[in-house]
Amino acid sequence: MYRQAKYDEPLIFELGKKGRRAHLPPRCDFSRDGIKIPENMRRVTPPDLPELHEGEVMRHYVHLSQMNYCVDTGTYPLGSCTMKYNPKVNETIARSEKMMYLHPNQPVETVQGILEILYELQLALGELAGLPHTTLQPPAGASGEYTGLNLIKAYHQDNGEGQRDEIIAPDSSHGTNPASTVLNGQKLIEIKSNEDGRVDIDALKAAVSNKTAGLMLTNPNTLGIFEKDIIEMSNTVRDAGGLLYYDGANFNAIVGKIRPGDMGYDVLHFNLHKTFSTPHGGGGPGSGAVCCNDILEPYLPVPTINHDKDKDYYYFDYDRPKSIGKVHGYYGNIAVALRAYAYIAALGEEGLKHTSDQAVLTANYAMRKMEKIDGLRLSHTSAIPRKHESVLEATPFLRNHEVSGMDIAKMLISRGVHAPTVYFPLIAHEALMMEPTENENKDRIDQYVKILEEEMEKARQDPDYAHHAPTNTSIGRVDDAYAIRNLTLSWKMIKEKQEE
Amino acid sequence: MGDNYAHPYLANSKKDIDEMLEYLGISSIEELYSDIPDEIRFKGQLKLPHYKSEFELMEAVKSKLSKNITTREVRSFLGGGILDIYMPAIQDELLRRTEFYSAYTPYQAETSQGILQAMFEYQSLICELVGMDVANCSLYDWATGVGEAALMASRITKRTKFVYTAAIAPNREAVLQNYVTGANLELEMVPYVENTGKMDVAKAKAMLDETVAGIYIENPNFFGIIEDELDEIIEDAHAKGVKVVVGTDMNSLALLKPPGEYGADIAIGEGQSIGGGPLNFGGPLLGTLAMKYNKKESRQMPGRIVGQTITQNEGEVAYANTLQTREQHIKRERATSNICTNEALVALSCAIHLTILGPQGYKDTAETMYLSAHHVVKKLEEIGVKRVFDSEFFNSFILDLKIPKDKKQEFTQFMLDRKIFPGIPYSFDGENYDYIVTTSYLLCEKDLDDFAKAIGEWRK
Repeated sequence: MYRQAKYDEPLIFELGKKGRRAHLPPRCDFSRDGIKIPENMRRVTPPDLPELHEGEVMRHYVHLSQMNYCVDTGTYPLGSCTMKYNPKVNETIARSEKMMYLHPNQPVETVQGILEILYELQLALGELAGLPHTTLQPPAGASGEYTGLNLIKAYHQDNGEGQRDEIIAPDSSHGTNPASTVLNGQKLIEIKSNEDGRVDIDALKAAVSNKTAGLMLTNPNTLGIFEKDIIEMSNTVRDAGGLLYYDGANFNAIVGKIRPGDMGYDVLHFNLHKTFSTPHGGGGPGSGAVCCNDILEPYLPVPTINHDKDKDYYYFDYDRPKSIGKVHGYYGNIAVALRAYAYIAALGEEGLKHTSDQAVLTANYAMRKMEKIDGLRLSHTSAIPRKHESVLEATPFLRNHEVSGMDIAKMLISRGVHAPTVYFPLIAHEALMMEPTENENKDRIDQYVKILEEEMEKARQDPDYAHHAPTNTSIGRVDDAYAIRNLTLSWKMIKEKQEE
Repeated sequence: MGDNYAHPYLANSKKDIDEMLEYLGISSIEELYSDIPDEIRFKGQLKLPHYKSEFELMEAVKSKLSKNITTREVRSFLGGGILDIYMPAIQDELLRRTEFYSAYTPYQAETSQGILQAMFEYQSLICELVGMDVANCSLYDWATGVGEAALMASRITKRTKFVYTAAIAPNREAVLQNYVTGANLELEMVPYVENTGKMDVAKAKAMLDETVAGIYIENPNFFGIIEDELDEIIEDAHAKGVKVVVGTDMNSLALLKPPGEYGADIAIGEGQSIGGGPLNFGGPLLGTLAMKYNKKESRQMPGRIVGQTITQNEGEVAYANTLQTREQHIKRERATSNICTNEALVALSCAIHLTILGPQGYKDTAETMYLSAHHVVKKLEEIGVKRVFDSEFFNSFILDLKIPKDKKQEFTQFMLDRKIFPGIPYSFDGENYDYIVTTSYLLCEKDLDDFAKAIGEWRK
């Protein structure tokens, strides 16, 4: 039976005792008397950092690590997050001394190796996107969205159409889409999805005008449904003078199968930490590489990484007068880009297509099995296949047994599998968004569905069981409201409360 | 490979696939793509190389990377906000624990207490360093931190002008300029005093009024100088309702008064240099952001925040993402930022590093940086080479070299021949280059002496 590790692990601050050391930094023989900080700027009270010896530090973090669930623990079908396996060779490669110890301000002739890799990655991503120009600078998907929308904005302004400040996005979009739009100073025009979960073409036609900057759309959409009318949509937006932005969060469905550039998109971002297997890191780092076509190329962030073929020399180009500027302090999350490069190289032209094949197959297989469970139903139409993910609704279960989608999620994590994404997209009710990826085999999916069936049966017998799940995780259900009522956000705040 | 689908990264064999197809009642995976119009299907051959075995992959990448020359082969005096650091073996051992790195954002708190507690500890450690109450669990880097802080100041004050120091790193300035265009913030730059390199307090005061949302100060500033005359400007800012944002070198805070103790409202900085990770050619990095707790204003913070709470039934101590109604996945177009994926693993790395250093190690490394820089300056002064500004500094200073544009490449090669990266070139006049020199704690006395010697030789 599954039981997650549990330790009554104190905060690191509570474990220390004065005078212990976990590390000796390099010796420095200069006299400390030479330190002369202006009196008024001198630190008087040292920071309250923990004092432990090395072994105790190890134990603390090993305990914390064991109170965690990850892709290598078990099935992690978190929809829209593409939790695929992180190949271990990529971790080894990323720890090459020839990678780790490079400062971004080094002379360019001393970084030809990494620039060559980044340049080749740019080409590979451009090839998969069907959009030839790439920047690796955005450090996350949302930053990629922001950058791509910024290119669209710069394009319109440069063409004397600064009034085009509306971004159209469907109500099924990722939360980052509207947030990135607003960060750009653009207005969000949200359009409703139709009964099939697709963009309502008439609503789109009604929304476009001479204020339209562009349409932001992931395809397949967040329901896993392909927007089959994309060409008509693309023409509608283009005829109105707008451009098309592709949110690459769902790219794992289409690698080598369809290219956004061929669907009429002008710009996209990739999530290298989704489609190209780089670790999610407990929340990050990621990389939101952006690809675009010729009309948007002049506005890409500085610097771009270029190749002088005659001299076989890689270099940075800062001389880009129309550039939007910079979206990251340097060139982006390079160690993440290197891992993505290694992933693409390992799979190659043949393997990449198979990743999408298997991601789509496992998603449809899981979906068809899950929709047969009493209490669950497929959101929107059941008539068409999904792509890399699907959304099931627990509405009937809630109605009949007063057990919610969140309760189902908690029962699942109690059994040693991860829950789907719950309550997203917002156009589905009691949503369970399921994305197995190509990392789950048929047996694992069968096992997952069996666990789901068993837990839902327990809930039918005893709804209270569901309301009190999980029980086998490190701790029981968390009180989120208490966290807000009694905001405690740091050790400092704890100390102050103790003193009161 | 080929039609049998077998590859280490693919879970299903041909047999698995056939069984699933049979269950779905279809004969090929292609049928799952049948709703896609034929005209947009990609039918060409991708211009990508063939797949590689793990051995071939390692060799191919190694061969390319071997063309790089690293800061461990050449003595690096490069800084600018990030720094070459040593990561103790225990740190990478912990970071390679797959339970940490192959998880995502802890949406299901009950099964993610480890990373949540670690993030709470990270936030707490940052607060200890900068003298604040709350920190978020990371921004992308210091540069985007300046942008986020400007937007945050504007949201809090509902004002649309932002004033910033001219002694700012050019890359941070560039990101700031880009970040504020959406909110239409007007930027204004406070000059520095010609001979000291410190912020011109009189001019800054003249710029502040009731339309200004915030003022951004770097301390030590980009020229490495300790800003020690800030009291007047901070007092003035607060009197006018202007938020004070201070960006710091996080190592300097072992010796310097933390921004929270001299009136900063928001403190930002770069966590890479205090253990976030290796240089990695400039990313991933770690933007730190902290502030004094204020019920209303703290809700304007960008990014994720972990709070301590309890479990519903047992009342046990627990950790969870909190104040989520600021975030994009709930608030969409009304969110305080678009941040979703952040730099959590780098934040964890930073927390482990600070724990390993402890108060003594943190102070030791900062003192070594300080003393190394001052040793170099002394050696250079002995041979008549001066700094551009004669003010107190931490571990970074700008060396008066005035190397003409057409000699810059020659100077780079001259220093490279002596196994030295001399610093970041910076031009005040667009024609001649001075160098911003920074010392880490990894350089020994001979390295420092060699640097001064090499500069002396160049000047001959």
